[in-house]
This record gives sequence, C-alpha cells and structure tokens, in this order.
Amino acid sequence: MKKVIINVVLIITVFVIYFLQSNFFTWFNIAGIMPNLFVVFVLFVGLFTNKTMGTIYGIVVGLLWDLLLGMQVSVNAICLGIVGFSAAIFDKNFSKDSRATIMFMVLGSTIAFEVLSYIINYFIFTTNVEILNFIKILAIEVIYNLILVIILYPLMQKFGYYMENEYKGNKILTRYF
Amino acid sequence: MYRNKKAGIIGIIITIIILIIIVIFSNNDKDVSIFENVASKLIMPVQNGLTYLKNKISGNSTFFTDINNLKAENEELKKKNSELEQSLRELENIKTQNETLKEYLNLTEKYGEYKTIPGYVINKDISNYSKTIVINIGKNDGVSENMTVIADQGLVGHVISVTDTTAKVQTIIDTASSVSCIMSTTNESIVCKGTLDEQSSLKAMYIPTDSNIIQGDSIETSGLGGIYPKGIHVGTVKRVTNTQNITDRSALIETAVDFDKLNTVLVITNQ
Repeated sequence: MKKVIINVVLIITVFVIYFLQSNFFTWFNIAGIMPNLFVVFVLFVGLFTNKTMGTIYGIVVGLLWDLLLGMQVSVNAICLGIVGFSAAIFDKNFSKDSRATIMFMVLGSTIAFEVLSYIINYFIFTTNVEILNFIKILAIEVIYNLILVIILYPLMQKFGYYMENEYKGNKILTRYF
Repeated sequence: MYRNKKAGIIGIIITIIILIIIVIFSNNDKDVSIFENVASKLIMPVQNGLTYLKNKISGNSTFFTDINNLKAENEELKKKNSELEQSLRELENIKTQNETLKEYLNLTEKYGEYKTIPGYVINKDISNYSKTIVINIGKNDGVSENMTVIADQGLVGHVISVTDTTAKVQTIIDTASSVSCIMSTTNESIVCKGTLDEQSSLKAMYIPTDSNIIQGDSIETSGLGGIYPKGIHVGTVKRVTNTQNITDRSALIETAVDFDKLNTVLVITNQ
C-alpha cells in the first residue's frame, strides 16, 4: 500500500514538474535559461529507491517529454534512463546525507544528460556544433539546478528516506556507518 | 537531519532571495539604467536645489514676476493635463483592441494566395537546446506533416508531427532546422540554420563568395527543399561575420517573427 502511495506521489510530481517547466520557468529563468528538474527528479528516484525504479522512471519521463515536445522519440528517454540507472551506482558509492554530495551528483547528472542528448541530436539532425554557446547554456542550467536543489534538499531527503525504507528496508547500509 | 535546523531554514530563505535577484537582474536588459535611476534619484534633488539657488542669486527677474498669474495658469494646465491623460488612456485601449483585430485580418489578407488554418501556440519546448512549439490544431482540422507554419511577420517553421487535435512544429530557430533562402536584393541562395546564440536569430551559411551581402538585406524562402513555399519573409541581415577564408563567412539573420511573443500562427495547407 505504501509503495502505491509513493508511486502516486511520484507521478503527481512528474506532472507538477512538467507544468513548472512549461509555464513557470519560461518566465522565471536566468538569462532565458531554464533549469532541468526532470534530471533532478530521476536522480532522486534512482538514489532513494533502486536501479530498476530509477531506470523505469527515467525512461517513462523521457518518453513523455519526447512524445509531448521532442522531435525524435527516444533521445530524452535514453538519456534520462541512463541518469536513473547511474543514480543507483552513485548511491552505492556516496553518502546521501550530505547536501554537498547531492549537489555534486546533480552537477554530474545534469552535465552528463545534456552532453549526451546534444551528441545524440548532433548525429540524428546534424546540427551545428556550437561548443561555446552550449557550455554557456549548460553552465547556467547547472547553477540553476544546484540552487533549486539547495532549496528543495530538506523535502527531497525527508521523502527520499521514506521511499528508501520502503524499497530497501534492511538493505540500507550507508546510514549505519 | 540538520546540526542546526534554524541555520538550515535561514540558508534556504537566503538562497530563494538570491535566486529571485539573479532571475530579475539576468532578465533586465537595462541594468545600467537601474543604477542610473538610483544615482539620479540621489543626486538630482541636490542638483535642482543648487540650480534654484544659482538662478535666484544671479538675479533672474522672471522668477519674481507675476507669481499669482503663474499659479492660476499652472492650475489650469494641471486640469487640462489630467483631462488629456484620461483621453490618452482611452485611446490606448482602443489602439490595443485595434492591433489585435488587425493582426487577425493581416494574417489572412497577407497570405491570401495560400489556403490557411489559424491556430494558437499552446506549449513551448521545455529544453534549452531545442525550440519546438505545439499548436492547437491537428488532423481533425486538416493539418498534416511537413506543412508550413507562418505568422503575421513571416516564417515560423513546419509541422513535424500531428495528433487529432494538436500539431508539433519545428521552428526555424531550432538548432536542427535548415531553411533554403534567397537574399531579396541579389536573389542569391543561402542556407539559414538555427543557432543556440540568440532566441530570434539564424545563422546564414554557404554565402556565395562573389555575393555582396549587406546589413539590412531582406531574406526570403527560396522554395527549394520541398517544405517551404517560395517568397515567405524570414528576416533581415543583422550582422555579417567575415573570416580569413571567404567561403567560411556567415551572417546573423534577425527573424521577422519574435518567437518570445509568438501566439497566433497560420498553417498553409495548399502549397
């Protein structure tokens, strides 16, 4: 029952994020650049649940994004799936108790996601390579994501541990070290 | 969870304030004028006072003449001013209404040779790197893939996928978009590609080596490529970038359509 509630909350969160990304952040942006809360969300699910959940949520959210707004179905799904999968690897190697660690994970995931999707899009659509502009946009996006993580961290951690207890139960090791 | 819960909350509040400040300042093009305003507010009263004193001391006789008449005149002018302001506000309202109606009329008149379906933009891409939009007309309204989408000012893009009630449009400013164009003054072909650089600009490439491209040149679609019909206005040349190798030179094209404010579009169904 608890797992059902958790999944319902996660699905609602996906729609809230979609609404924020397509409405709120189109005007509340830094120099025209929006954050990418979907990466933060998928990372969060992967970190606090398990590899399968992280990957599934990554692929489903990516597919939703591709179907509604993307040009090629699969690009965002693949990239977010990888973020969800790697979140579980992060969980095994790093502690989630520190805000700084979470921020580093968000930094790494955002960069990995955007670079990967840019490369895939380059091969599919043969877009111009604009490294300088790409780095400029990416830097602002990463900073924006980090600021949002600082603000949302207490909420993420609280709900995250609730999910972790449900999904990992007695397999949680890191918190006892 | 926190060593000091209070410090954590204060930290979050400070971060939110910093974020709001960054957003406001980064989206304000007139940063300098804010500082100018603050400086002028601080300095101008002193400046005015000094000028007043200077005028008085230097024996400016007009200052003392017929002060009562001036007061009456001032009152009358103030009254007239408020009346004029009132009528100005009314005119502004009428003007806005008129502009909206004109926009709809212009759209259909300007492209009278094409059969078009009007639509609204209902969603924009949530990524910083691609620029697709979703419009509120689809298969049920007669829209199909590869149809050209235009706005009052010029070319918007083309339909890449359709559902029964909506259509996804790849705009010309998307980095994956390439439009074959001609310069209206010389009729020479160029290719305009979307760029990450600015929101409403394109990069013109493959400019003929003997071509004389100049700032302000009008750019239109050439009709090549099979998607966009010929003669649709794309934008104007904003800047020409010359390189050592003349074959590599490019130009920045300012799109006729302001994609930030794009709301109404037309889909051409018979091209």
